[in-house]
Amino acid sequence: MELLERYLQAVKKHLPWLRQDDIIAELRVNLEAQLEDKEAELGRKLSNAEMEAWLKQLGSPLHVAARYRPQQYLIGPAVFPIYWFVLRLALGWCTVIYAIARTVDTVANGLGSDALVRAVAQLLWVLLISAAVVTLIFALLERSGAKIPDKFAQGTAMSNDWPQGAMSLCDVRLDGRKKPKTYAQAVVEVIVGWIALMWFLLVPHYPFLLMGPGAIYLKMAPYQLAPIWWTFYWCVVLLNAVELAWRMADLLRDRWQGPHHAQRLVKLAFGFVPLLVVLAVPGRMLFLLKDPADAAAHHAALDQMNLWTYRGFEVIAAITLLQLVWMVGRISLEAYRRRLATQ
Amino acid sequence: MTLAENLFENLRMELRRGCLTLAVLAQLRQEHYGYTLRKALASRGMEIDENTLYPLLRRLEAQGLLISEWREEDKRNKRFYRLSADGQEIFVRLLKEWNDINTAITNLL
Repeated sequence: MELLERYLQAVKKHLPWLRQDDIIAELRVNLEAQLEDKEAELGRKLSNAEMEAWLKQLGSPLHVAARYRPQQYLIGPAVFPIYWFVLRLALGWCTVIYAIARTVDTVANGLGSDALVRAVAQLLWVLLISAAVVTLIFALLERSGAKIPDKFAQGTAMSNDWPQGAMSLCDVRLDGRKKPKTYAQAVVEVIVGWIALMWFLLVPHYPFLLMGPGAIYLKMAPYQLAPIWWTFYWCVVLLNAVELAWRMADLLRDRWQGPHHAQRLVKLAFGFVPLLVVLAVPGRMLFLLKDPADAAAHHAALDQMNLWTYRGFEVIAAITLLQLVWMVGRISLEAYRRRLATQ
Repeated sequence: MTLAENLFENLRMELRRGCLTLAVLAQLRQEHYGYTLRKALASRGMEIDENTLYPLLRRLEAQGLLISEWREEDKRNKRFYRLSADGQEIFVRLLKEWNDINTAITNLL
């Protein structure tokens, strides 16, 4: 009996404080009755070894007490699908935002020898903390949901009822790809592409088309664009012209439903060319003084303009590179999934 | 335990989980305290270990399906459980569900 009492006290320690005396009193009666039956069967009292074996069979005190707790999980099956969706979304966006922030930081402050290692290590912490926060929020939702299940289901979209118009959510193709373009959309894209190209070709002659009233300031300012901008400009014009030609060719060949992966990749990869042209400019000289004699008055402002414009291009290049890596990753993953599906 | 045995054990537990509630509600049409309920269920072929049964009684009571009272019997204070009015209603509906499932499975075999 002393062993049983010690066992019960050990269970009590792990029970909810408010109900522990009540639960232990009931458990004691039940176990004592069970023990009496055992002893009646044997015709004698249980030895200490037999008693220990029986208590071991009942389970560890922690395990026994845990069964009396109302909720044994952080996030239940009703909430889990939404939790999992939000968690993946949060981690994905955290990674993207972190990558952009680190890129900007690296561009602004320079790249140390161990910068990459530190960035990856910190990313792990960022992801861990984000996951912890999302999990905590959903655990709290789960707890409140257990108390007011009806309101919870309505208020947090945990209910299986679809809102009106929700069928539009199913407006995706069954093979997982986006909806194809209509012919009218493809024609409009070509027309808009032509207008954009014309507009772009007119910009050097009529700067107000790009800058609006700011064009007057450009005329009056002591600065002028460096010759590298012309190279950049013609690269962009050429890219747009090639893309337009490609669209028209697709239209003529009845392949206007949407760009293929290869087209998207080539477009994005060639988008680097104008950026590299600007980034390769010697001494970051993107703007020059109209009159070199003004150097004393405007040198400092000119340096700042050149520095921050150049850094802006570095950030754009980093974002484009990330997009390229993301797209290559997605295409590889899709190819892998398709290969698995055909096996 | 092999992987197949482990899988079987998990599926068996899952299958039994719902049945246990029905068995307990059925047995508690008559009043019992924990240990005699366990013995009564076992004598009819429904073995339930104490770590499952006793907390289950508490949960069913908290859900309003059972009512309980402490009473002295054989010089000991015991907590006796029986079906509440709500419990009786739910039991009838669950029993119908159980019979429908049983019929469906029998038809399938």
